[in-house]
Amino acid sequence: MSARRIVPLALLVLALIYPVLTMESAVYQRMGALVLLAAIGASAWNIVGGYAGQVSVGHAVFFGIGAYSSVVAFVHLGLPPIAGAPLGMAISVGLAALIGVPTLRLSGHYFSMATIAVGELVRVLASTSDFLGGAQGLGGPPMPRTVLDLSFLSAMPYYYIFLVVLAGILGLTWWIERGRMGFYLRAIKDSERAARSLGVSAGRYKLYAYMLSGAFTSVAGSLYLCMFGFIDPESGFGILISVKMVVMAALGGAGQLFGPLVGALILVPLEELSNSYLGGQGAGITYVVYGAIIVIIARFLPSGLLSLFERKPVVAQPEAAKPANPASGHAD
Amino acid sequence: MIKTTLLAGAALLALAGATPVLAQQVVKIGAVYPLSGNSASTGNYAKMAFEMGVDLINNGNADLAKVFPLAKGGGLPGLKGAKLQLVIADNQGTPQAGANQTLRLITEEKVAGLVCCYQSAITVTASAVAEKYGVPMINGESVAANLTERGFKWFFRTTPVAADFATAYLTFLKEQKAAGLKTDSIAIVHENTEYGNSVSSVIADAFAKGGLNVTMKIPYAANGPDVQPQVLQLKEKNPDVVIFISYTQDAILYAKTMKELNWKPPILIADDGGFNDPAFTKQMGPVTEGLISRSVFAQGKPGSVAAIMDEIYKKKTGGDGLDDVSARALQAFFVLADAINRAGSTEPAKVQAAIKATNIKAEECVAGYDGVKFDDKGQNTLASTLVTQLKNSNYVAVWPKSRATDPLVLPYKGW
Repeated sequence: MSARRIVPLALLVLALIYPVLTMESAVYQRMGALVLLAAIGASAWNIVGGYAGQVSVGHAVFFGIGAYSSVVAFVHLGLPPIAGAPLGMAISVGLAALIGVPTLRLSGHYFSMATIAVGELVRVLASTSDFLGGAQGLGGPPMPRTVLDLSFLSAMPYYYIFLVVLAGILGLTWWIERGRMGFYLRAIKDSERAARSLGVSAGRYKLYAYMLSGAFTSVAGSLYLCMFGFIDPESGFGILISVKMVVMAALGGAGQLFGPLVGALILVPLEELSNSYLGGQGAGITYVVYGAIIVIIARFLPSGLLSLFERKPVVAQPEAAKPANPASGHAD
Repeated sequence: MIKTTLLAGAALLALAGATPVLAQQVVKIGAVYPLSGNSASTGNYAKMAFEMGVDLINNGNADLAKVFPLAKGGGLPGLKGAKLQLVIADNQGTPQAGANQTLRLITEEKVAGLVCCYQSAITVTASAVAEKYGVPMINGESVAANLTERGFKWFFRTTPVAADFATAYLTFLKEQKAAGLKTDSIAIVHENTEYGNSVSSVIADAFAKGGLNVTMKIPYAANGPDVQPQVLQLKEKNPDVVIFISYTQDAILYAKTMKELNWKPPILIADDGGFNDPAFTKQMGPVTEGLISRSVFAQGKPGSVAAIMDEIYKKKTGGDGLDDVSARALQAFFVLADAINRAGSTEPAKVQAAIKATNIKAEECVAGYDGVKFDDKGQNTLASTLVTQLKNSNYVAVWPKSRATDPLVLPYKGW
């Protein structure tokens, strides 16, 4: 019983002091920040893709909007890039409503296909827009003017900024999960028809989830721009960005609070380390290893890595009458 | 007795400790190139060029040493014969991986300098990391104009930019005009995405300023199945000069269609791109004899730096010679190696100062530049390009005269 409290507490402490532990290695410190950034995007996706079960493969649209809003705030208005984040959120919410109303009526694969189409459309539009720098893209401030430009040498400030944002998103998701909306979303995911027949306004709640998810994904885009200082259509709206969000959430456990974070904890270091140690040979081994590990996890743990920990107590104490896990969702 | 043994042991230890330090002093140079993704082929050719460069400096080459002092062998003379070591990383074609790998090469591998990164978008983010850490970076291939407008102190670029290419065509055409050829009407035919649009507008601007008339512009979709309408349009107006900006498939289609419709202009220029793809020259070379293009690389006269390196490179790759991109990448690498050698140190500030003082002559360049010398912004002021012409399915340098290997043959012959 005490282990159930000590382990999360230890993990929390570790998360808080990680940048200090990795002071000696800029690469590992930065990797921590990259994990959190990826987790922000994947956790945002999780709201609509995991909880509501509407698998969007076009979330790069919102990521790109966040990044471009930030760079536009700098290039066209001379503001610090982060000032564009609220704008990006607002546009994302608006666009999510615009896309969501017609496409969320589509079920299953058709919704996924529609989101891919919208993503590609926006990517092409961005690459022909002079205002957005066309195919060449736009750069943020080359040299930090003030601390508000959020351009740092060390990854430590990014780490803590990302940690706070991630905590915010996870906190809100947790709150939704436990409230009426969480139950509605899970009901929709299990069977939309059944949910409707019980009086759940499925269309409206899917749309809320989609808008909320889009707004947070946009924040991830804005933060990406602050850290990397450059965006072009491929790195903002490219389909790989959408796919990575889906894969991370699915790998850790879609529809579970910490699923996307666990996925990011596995995939980001895997990606970085495999590229660092195998990339220089130039044979593309990186992607072979990366892909193989995803296939293995998908084969043996189809519900994501977190399902490992869900099964355990059941096996260890089969006679335990009350598992007392009101927050654990469905293991599908 | 014990004392002497100890002493001897200590002396041996000291020797053992000391010798490797002298013999194994290694200078690391980092390279962040696309080894996977869309541009993997280009990146791997660049990688082989760097490996050849390292080998030439470390192990020497007798023929080359006569014209290229760094190829005497035995490492960098300025650092007591320290050997070079190449640390190459994959930028995966993404600005994010480019920046992350640059950080790794700087902080973990402790490279003395970097060559980076082919794609302009990646050069932006990677150079920002190098700038923050104060490690010199030399870029050999990215042509986005704004890269050297950011006020960076550690970023240097050896390649010409898009405007330089336009100026080369302009000067070339004006010379032909002076020689009596007609250049009154000029048509630009370009594919209609960012690449074609931006290059064509840069050329049109340069020509307008230089007093040449671009009389028609024909944009087209590169993935279209047919280019007859465009060629018929050309045939009707019959311009003196046609400039193509195309990818590979459409370039092949244009060459075929022009032969089918039996129309050719007196001067046909193809701006690099698809027309320089080996797939094009192999397939369409016989019917596009005399096509004019550009490249910073041409083999040059026998015994020149470019010619010798080209031969060595062919042995390494199994037949493929240096080309426009690999020669530009290799040139950037040699500029960095030369600067570290002159600095006599791997201390970043000293290397930076040495790069600023770079003064490489045209005949010491593997790329066809007028030399390498940086301005305050870090741009090579002597960067230039060669005008080449297709001869028996091979591009040969025909302009400027000082570096031409073959005579210019006009008008365009075709088939």
